Amino acid sequence: MKLLSWKTATAVLALSLGAGLPSAWADAQQLATTVCVACHGEGGHSVVPTFPNLAGQQQDYLAKQLKDFIDGKRKNEVMAPTIAELKSGDVPGLAAYYAGQKPAPGKVEDAKLAEAGKKLYEDGNTTSGVPACVGCHQPNGVGNTRYPRLAGQHQAYTIQQIGDFKSGTRANDKGRVMRAVAERITEDEMKAVAEYLAGL
Amino acid sequence: MNRAAWVFFAALACAGMAMAAEQQPREQGIESSDYVWNEMYADKLQALQAKGDPLRGEIAFEICQGCHRKSALGRADGSYPRLAGQHATVLIKQMTDVRAGRRDNPRMFPFASQHAISPQDIADIAAYLQGLPVPDDNGKGPGTDLAQGGKLYNRDCSSCHGDKGEGNGAKFYPRVSGQHFKYLEREAQEIRNGNRRNADPRMMRVIKNYSDADLQAVTDYMSRLPVSTK
Ligand code: HEC
Ligand code: HEC
Ligand code: HEC
Ligand code: HEC
Repeated sequence: MKLLSWKTATAVLALSLGAGLPSAWADAQQLATTVCVACHGEGGHSVVPTFPNLAGQQQDYLAKQLKDFIDGKRKNEVMAPTIAELKSGDVPGLAAYYAGQKPAPGKVEDAKLAEAGKKLYEDGNTTSGVPACVGCHQPNGVGNTRYPRLAGQHQAYTIQQIGDFKSGTRANDKGRVMRAVAERITEDEMKAVAEYLAGL
Repeated sequence: MNRAAWVFFAALACAGMAMAAEQQPREQGIESSDYVWNEMYADKLQALQAKGDPLRGEIAFEICQGCHRKSALGRADGSYPRLAGQHATVLIKQMTDVRAGRRDNPRMFPFASQHAISPQDIADIAAYLQGLPVPDDNGKGPGTDLAQGGKLYNRDCSSCHGDKGEGNGAKFYPRVSGQHFKYLEREAQEIRNGNRRNADPRMMRVIKNYSDADLQAVTDYMSRLPVSTK
């Protein structure tokens, strides 16, 4: 966790600098390039597999997540210090900034696993009742104004989120539908679909 | 139980509810002596009275298409029925019966519950689905006993499901033309066996002495009825 504390320190430093310059907080781009960059990377391309890529994510989804973090509906220790400083007025600008960044092309490490993941993504599992992900998250995982983009995301992050929905640790999904999906997904299916999505 | 214990268990129940997926409730159905077919409770009435908007319905249907598939064409293996071209009233009856716990479908329930969709959404989805085209590539039966199937259909079924399988929206009788054979066969068995608990007792009386072979023949015939005429 050395890396993490160093990054947190960077963020804290950036925050304390920002505190002296309230106008800086009004500038989403400045915030993104001084604070968020420490974890989410240049232009929202994160290098740590458990820190999500934000580049090209759906704008409405980004805004909802930030609002949910601020309202305490979604919780994460690593994000918490940043969220404590964030004002709801910063949200629209940040969401627009990251939605406007170009997503990086994905990379598959295990082609066979990705093939199994593609099957779950497009067909679901009619035996266990997992609906096909494509129904909500759209062809090629690009999402839309109602459902998040999943394409090109780090495997580790995707697996963790599905697991968190499954256990109920993450419970901010509208209509509880993503929890209902996750409950039916096996560990092997999670790994496979995450591998497929990472390559998109 | 004393108050403290009650509070403790209530809290436990709430915590449990937040974690586990929603369980479908279970209402009395056809197995009970005072069963009323197509009973009108608030949820169903609201959805039937709301004016459905197909454009909104297309968007709301995203929640459903992971199972019922794009354009609501279902799967030929019968796991998920076609919904395209079904009468709006029939769709509303079936969805609200699932919500109320009169038709058992725990697999679909979390995606059709009050948390996921409102009565207005149901009306919108039904309006959208009713207007969708029904291609004739639905799954068919083995085709081995169509003469017998046709004879039974015209004698026992067409009075409600229509000469061409078009059903009757005003009377909540489902359209059966264009539906996947495997699904029709399974449902016919479920209705005969009393497992589809929101079924019409008049239909149950008609098919109660049907053999599996006759059910297969008649549903095979149904799956081949022309789809162009609604
Ligand atoms: C110290 C590291 C760190 C910093 C700084 C940070 N984040 Fe995060 N962020 C995370 C982690 C870790 C997650 C994943 C949370 C989880 O697992 O639930 C996350 C999640 C998110 C998400 C949800 C993404 C999704 O796909 O659901 C958004 C949006 C987000 N961060 C935006 C921001 C913004 C905007 C900033 C700057 C104001 C920022 N973050 C600063 C670590 C950080
Ligand atoms: C019924 C619609 C629906 C289906 C089907 C569905 N999802 Fe989701 N999913 C959602 C919603 C809604 C959210 C966003 C929840 C929120 O607002 O926080 C979500 C969020 C996610 C996230 C978190 C994204 C992030 O950036 O944090 C992952 C990962 C995910 N879904 C994976 C999947 C996979 C894999 C499948 C198929 C096995 C699937 N989903 C099927 C509705 C759905
Ligand atoms: C997890 C998979 C799944 C999802 C998601 C799902 N359904 Fe279903 N649905 C089913 C299954 C399985 C059946 C067949 C049940 C049976 O065999 O009795 C069914 C049956 C139906 C029927 C009855 C059809 C008939 O001919 O009687 C309707 C209507 C329906 N679904 C509508 C919907 C709508 C609308 C949604 C979205 C709000 C939805 N379903 C979401 C699995 C699903
Ligand atoms: C008295 C009218 C009536 C008659 C006669 C009748 N049915 Fe039905 N049938 C219905 C109704 C109403 C439903 C919908 C179940 C409900 O009440 O929710 C239905 C449903 C079905 C379904 C399931 C369709 C679906 O979309 O889920 C099948 C299959 C079916 N009937 C087959 C038959 C066959 C075969 C016959 C003749 C042997 C027959 N029915 C005779 C009224 C009738």
